[in-house]
Amino acid sequence: MSTVVGATHPYIASLLNGCESGHDQLSWLGERRAAALERANALAVPTTRDEEWRFTDITPLTRVPFQPAVAVPHPGADDVAKFIIPEAGVRLTFVDGMFAPELSANAGLPYGVVVTSLAAGLATHGSVIERHLARHARFEQDVFAALNTARLRDGALVWVAKNQQCPTPVQLLFLSTQKAVAAYPRCLVVAEAGAELTLVEEYASLVDNAYFTDAVTEVAIGDGAQVRHVRLQREARDAFHIATCAVALAKDANYASHAITLGARISRHDLSVRQGGEGAEARLDGLTLIGGRQLADTHTLLDHGRPNGRSRQLHKCIVGGAAHAVFSGKIAVAPGAQLTDSAQESRNLLLSNKAHVDTKPQLEIFADDVKCAHGATVGQLEAEHLFYLQSRGLSEQRARNLLTYAFGAEVIDGIPVPSLVEQLEETVLAETQSAE
Amino acid sequence: MTDIEAETAPRGLNEDIIRLISAKKHEPEWLLELRLKAYRHWLTMAEPGWPNVKYPKIDFQNVIYYSAPKPKKLKSMDEVDPELLRTFEKLGVPMNERAALAGVAVDVIFDSVSVATTYKQKLAEVGVIFCSISEAVRDHPDLVRKYLGTVVPPGDNYYAALNSAVFTDGSFCFIPKGVKCPMELSTYFRINTQESGQFERTLIIAEEGASVSYLEGCTAPKFDSNQLHAAVVELVALDDADIKYSTVQNWYAGNEQGVGGIYNFVTKRGLCKGANSKISWTQVETGSAITWKYPSCVLLGDNSIGEFYSVALTNHHQQADTGTKMVHIGRNTRSRIISKGISAGQSNNSYRGLVKIGARAEGARNFSQCDSMLIGTKCGANTFPYIQVHNNSAKVEHEATTSKIGEDQLFYLAQRGIGAEEAVSMIINGFCRDVFQQLPMEFAVEATKLLGLKLEGSVG
Repeated sequence: MSTVVGATHPYIASLLNGCESGHDQLSWLGERRAAALERANALAVPTTRDEEWRFTDITPLTRVPFQPAVAVPHPGADDVAKFIIPEAGVRLTFVDGMFAPELSANAGLPYGVVVTSLAAGLATHGSVIERHLARHARFEQDVFAALNTARLRDGALVWVAKNQQCPTPVQLLFLSTQKAVAAYPRCLVVAEAGAELTLVEEYASLVDNAYFTDAVTEVAIGDGAQVRHVRLQREARDAFHIATCAVALAKDANYASHAITLGARISRHDLSVRQGGEGAEARLDGLTLIGGRQLADTHTLLDHGRPNGRSRQLHKCIVGGAAHAVFSGKIAVAPGAQLTDSAQESRNLLLSNKAHVDTKPQLEIFADDVKCAHGATVGQLEAEHLFYLQSRGLSEQRARNLLTYAFGAEVIDGIPVPSLVEQLEETVLAETQSAE
Repeated sequence: MTDIEAETAPRGLNEDIIRLISAKKHEPEWLLELRLKAYRHWLTMAEPGWPNVKYPKIDFQNVIYYSAPKPKKLKSMDEVDPELLRTFEKLGVPMNERAALAGVAVDVIFDSVSVATTYKQKLAEVGVIFCSISEAVRDHPDLVRKYLGTVVPPGDNYYAALNSAVFTDGSFCFIPKGVKCPMELSTYFRINTQESGQFERTLIIAEEGASVSYLEGCTAPKFDSNQLHAAVVELVALDDADIKYSTVQNWYAGNEQGVGGIYNFVTKRGLCKGANSKISWTQVETGSAITWKYPSCVLLGDNSIGEFYSVALTNHHQQADTGTKMVHIGRNTRSRIISKGISAGQSNNSYRGLVKIGARAEGARNFSQCDSMLIGTKCGANTFPYIQVHNNSAKVEHEATTSKIGEDQLFYLAQRGIGAEEAVSMIINGFCRDVFQQLPMEFAVEATKLLGLKLEGSVG
């Protein structure tokens, strides 16, 4: 029984306070948690001196020694109602990192689709979990992924059997309700060969407090399987949100991500997509809409490891107030990954003169017969566009709002869940409407 | 190997060596102080590890920091050591002929000390000062003192600090107010003595309304052991001034197995100090085992313009990590970046650039385009652009593509009776056209040939 002794970094030590390894009944799980704990102990909190964290200063986070929730709150069904997506046939709700079955719903799933808590899933689908859990989200160099893995107690398991289709979207809802609490949400999504799934992963809050979410999501997509993944981050404005999402694509797999970032004081989303099989296809859409003093950082990696891969990425940021948006997107093409076709766009709109953006699109190409391109723009609304709308009788303010809304709508319209599109359009409209 | 007796300092670096260099050059006290300060700062610094290049650790104590050909007073080109002239002949640089034909003044740097300077007279008539930096220190100490180290401070980075401590020669160029330099200024740098690190220092100042075009070209003979080259180039443009700096770099890149070759760790930076000033960098990088250089523009003056045009070609085991930095500080500043990278063989070619728009840079505008071409399956091409925008009235655009030479393009040309080798050369030249157009004519011709030569045999 090894308790934590001496994490090298004092803040990590405070986060790991009380975290023990060795209690797991399953040896493989115990080993993985112990390895993660060891790494978490060895790693330090990243600073702006680390290249990957150059623009994101997380010092405000390190001022509070967040601890996992002790008392389990019981929010009422009414509190949760506004987060419910009507299309979703099944919903798992987690409160402060703990599974809340009373707030979850299951309208009956077809044979071959499993949506359950990890703890319950271990009994029935142990081998699937063993094959994938902590195998895709690498924690060797990532202190937050290591922390999440070391703190792993429960989470969500979504499994779709070979050639099965999940008819309705699956909703995973992570709610925070307490101040100074750290939650370590964990999702494991496995789509076996030929399966199809639409997933909505949402992070939200019932309170306006400072809390910390350190999430890890792993998505494994089998040969020819298809996963549409909507990720909605609307944490409280004072919260901290650091998330890692690792996606593994097999041969001819298809993955579409729609990541919307609205909340948190400081947020970070690390999305890595690895093409481990030929002919895999990925589409990554992202929208960051922030204002005030928010900081939102998105890091993506598209790793084309095999030939004939295809990827399309569109990341947009709308930055108002004195907010700061960061985007770093890497497209890597491994030696031998011929005929890769990859395109990436980073579009940034600055609404105020205190807002700022750091964007870093990167290409790392080691194969010659490829087509790769990236583009980045930063600017404000086009004067000509504004003029055109004004010539049609719109006030300048209204024209501005309309154009800003349209800028964000391009990403939102791609979301495969109609009620969510509607809801988000309203949010964007509300956020971008300055007084008319 | 050329056999000119060189007066060399012992290997290694310490304060005594710096004092020796300073004494040899009869330098004033303030310059020695600057060198020592830079050296002491350098001692506290660590070698940068972030570039995307790999090389064995450099032993800075195993470098000769000073070597000079025996001093001779030369009145004309005829008196130049025939041995030296023959070396130039071998390099295919008939300097005197070239100078006469092209009307180019050549300040010959042969192992760190200026041996002959031509056309000085003609330049002096309009008040242009073009001489070696040692002469400038002696003859125009106030000018040198006023500007040296203002664009690249002695502690700027590891190699700039090293250069500031031990620089031995380089060029100095001063264009007074309102003068348009009547000819293109050119320096041929060459590295000669085995393992003598070259630490040139170039300082170009264009006063109000002045303009100048400066050419830098480089070749080096074949040596097996790696040579370190850490130059610093500083440009200062005052109000309405215009500086155009062009480079063709073809230093020894090592053999096909990647043994030998020059390490080119250069700091080049231009300061658009005055309003409406303009600095333009054009480079064709084909040589060196490792190229690590980011010619940059600091756009301080309102309405100032920075430009960067680059072709970087790597073959065999060459590594290049190059790009530019455009720092927009003044209002309505504009910058343009066109970078073309070509990788062949087992080489690795990276573009690394920064576009930074400061909070006060109202109406700033940037356009960047970085295209890469890969020839063969074992090479790599990377793009790392950093874009930092702190002003919402700025407009920044960046685009990058990676491609290869199309089969259909080759087929089309083959069908027209053009052989594969020549077709590739034509396509490459087309790919680089936007950059070659910026080069002065002689350089453009040379660069076109150079690329063809460098890629010989790399396309089957």
